[in-house]
Amino acid sequence: MKTYKKLVAGALLASALVSQAVAQEAVKLGVIFPTRTIIGEQAGHGAELAAKQINDAGGILDGRMVELIVYDSNFSAVDGVSAAQRLLTQDGVKYILGEISSTVAFAVIPVVESEEALAMLAMPKHPDVTNSGYENVFRLNSTSQIDAASFGKYLTETVKPEKVAVLVQNDDIGLTSLEQMKQLFGEKVVFSDIFDVKQADFSALATNVRASGADLVCVTAANPEQSGGVFRSMADVGYSPKRCLLPGYLNNDLPDVAGAAAEGVFSQDVYIDTIDSELNNTFVKEYLAAQGKVPGKPEVLGFETVWIVAKAIDAAGSYDDVSKVAKVIRDTQWESPRGKLRFNEIGQALTEKLYNTVVKDGRVVRAD
Amino acid sequence: MELLLQQIANGLSLGMAYALVALGLTLVFGVLHVVNFAHGEFYMLGALVTVLVVKSLGLPYIVALLIAIVLVSAVAWVMDIVAVSPVARKPGGDQIVLVSTYAAGLIIVETVLAAIGPTPIAVSGFSGIVHFGSVVLTMHRVFMFAAGIVMICGLYMLFTRTNFGRSLRAVAQSDYAAKVVGIDVERIKTLTFVLAGGIAGLAGGLIAPIITFNATMGLHAGIHAFVVVVIGSMGSIPGAVVCGLSLGMIESVLSIFLGQHVAATLIYSLLLVTLFVRPQGLFQGALR
Repeated sequence: MKTYKKLVAGALLASALVSQAVAQEAVKLGVIFPTRTIIGEQAGHGAELAAKQINDAGGILDGRMVELIVYDSNFSAVDGVSAAQRLLTQDGVKYILGEISSTVAFAVIPVVESEEALAMLAMPKHPDVTNSGYENVFRLNSTSQIDAASFGKYLTETVKPEKVAVLVQNDDIGLTSLEQMKQLFGEKVVFSDIFDVKQADFSALATNVRASGADLVCVTAANPEQSGGVFRSMADVGYSPKRCLLPGYLNNDLPDVAGAAAEGVFSQDVYIDTIDSELNNTFVKEYLAAQGKVPGKPEVLGFETVWIVAKAIDAAGSYDDVSKVAKVIRDTQWESPRGKLRFNEIGQALTEKLYNTVVKDGRVVRAD
Repeated sequence: MELLLQQIANGLSLGMAYALVALGLTLVFGVLHVVNFAHGEFYMLGALVTVLVVKSLGLPYIVALLIAIVLVSAVAWVMDIVAVSPVARKPGGDQIVLVSTYAAGLIIVETVLAAIGPTPIAVSGFSGIVHFGSVVLTMHRVFMFAAGIVMICGLYMLFTRTNFGRSLRAVAQSDYAAKVVGIDVERIKTLTFVLAGGIAGLAGGLIAPIITFNATMGLHAGIHAFVVVVIGSMGSIPGAVVCGLSLGMIESVLSIFLGQHVAATLIYSLLLVTLFVRPQGLFQGALR
């Protein structure tokens, strides 16, 4: 009898210890970004800030901390798949967050589906990213179609160019945007060119586009060193038409890189740091304190990946029931630094509006 | 015609950038008979030092260039001690150096990424615009071109008018014969590697105001330099200069008709054609 009591007491003690350990076990979220690029680093910082804010507020699921496991997807489908597989099979993660590239996203989604996990994609823009048929895929960024509809309206109704030049990077985003601009402006597109994503010298390109006589030059380049290089080279050859970056790529790194050559460059985006809301003010203040610069869209989308998924896990009351978490994500209207957003039936985030932005006095500000 | 002239001017500027990076690479191959896969990272470090000295210390750009030459030369000296000389002396060492310099280059990139991050950093060189008739170039591009010419002439003088140059050319021809006549072959090789590092550092510092520093810029530049060196004959200084300038002009002029990405791709096609038609390159043996 004495031995039996000892066994029961031991079992209870062990059970208590185990449940305490479980209660304190961190909630693991897998994050993939091209971490060695500026845009990936920015988005990663946003994700880290979201985890910090959630943990500072006491965590989720009754006090469990959020832990991010971050791997470099290196803008490569192979590396992205490798990172996702490692997260899902070795690290025991059920949620893959982040990513910039649509190409990487297309490669990663089947891996996520095969493990019945959930993907909350930050920045891929290709419309088909949320058309895989797997219901647990969500995307936060606006698609190139949404951008084209909004920005195209702005260009045709407000900017009203006579001759348009389009310069794009040689990838899915760039080529898609080139086709959209050609559809939008037809014969008004007097010049177009495609440059390598690693190209560094744009003097020849700037000379050719100057010769076209375009009064509007639109550029699609993910990296500010490239868009900055294009605008600087145009200024170097004394060419100063209206200049735009296609939606999603104008942030304060452009004036840092291009200096005065960036003045007047305009765009549209889902986020601008001057949005006046409590959540955004806190986000900007804490990001500024942590990184020494104001956040842009990559940071806010990185933030949202962790913010929404962690809150959804908390609301669902379960980490393991991925379908339940996905339902919460789909059924909830989310508050984010950029405002309110909802996901439609295919997992695409729908935001209230795109903001007109412009570089003025060395900083990206709202144009309206 | 105006467009063509402008693109030729752009091409000369672009080609000088190619030639500056290729010079050190071909020098190392000509004397050490090894390929330095970390050469692009020397170039990147030159740009980094220039950017940091100007932006963080507030020193003049010219001073930053000199500091870049000294510091990158020092890094090259360390790399020679750690990853080149000890490896190259072993049987089959010339092939192992490919791997050891590649590894050293990765370490440099990862270290810079960890310390500086991927954020591009712009730096100003010489401001202003220069007009040559209808052709427009920035003052800094003109300066880079002039500095490149001065450096090439300086190297020519170094190789032809100094004992070091004569020793270097002797080692380039034959280690054994150079030893027989009393030349300290290992010392010459180390000095050559350091000189190549300094040249790459200068190239990075000269080009940084044009293209914006980023930690991975060395990889792309290294590939272009490799193409220039192979077409111009590995080990040939005139080959690197002539082919660098020619490829820059071809790329710029063809962009008028074919678009930027096609013109850039043609450069690699020229590499293939050269390897098929004249695998030894166009200027074989010119260092000697």
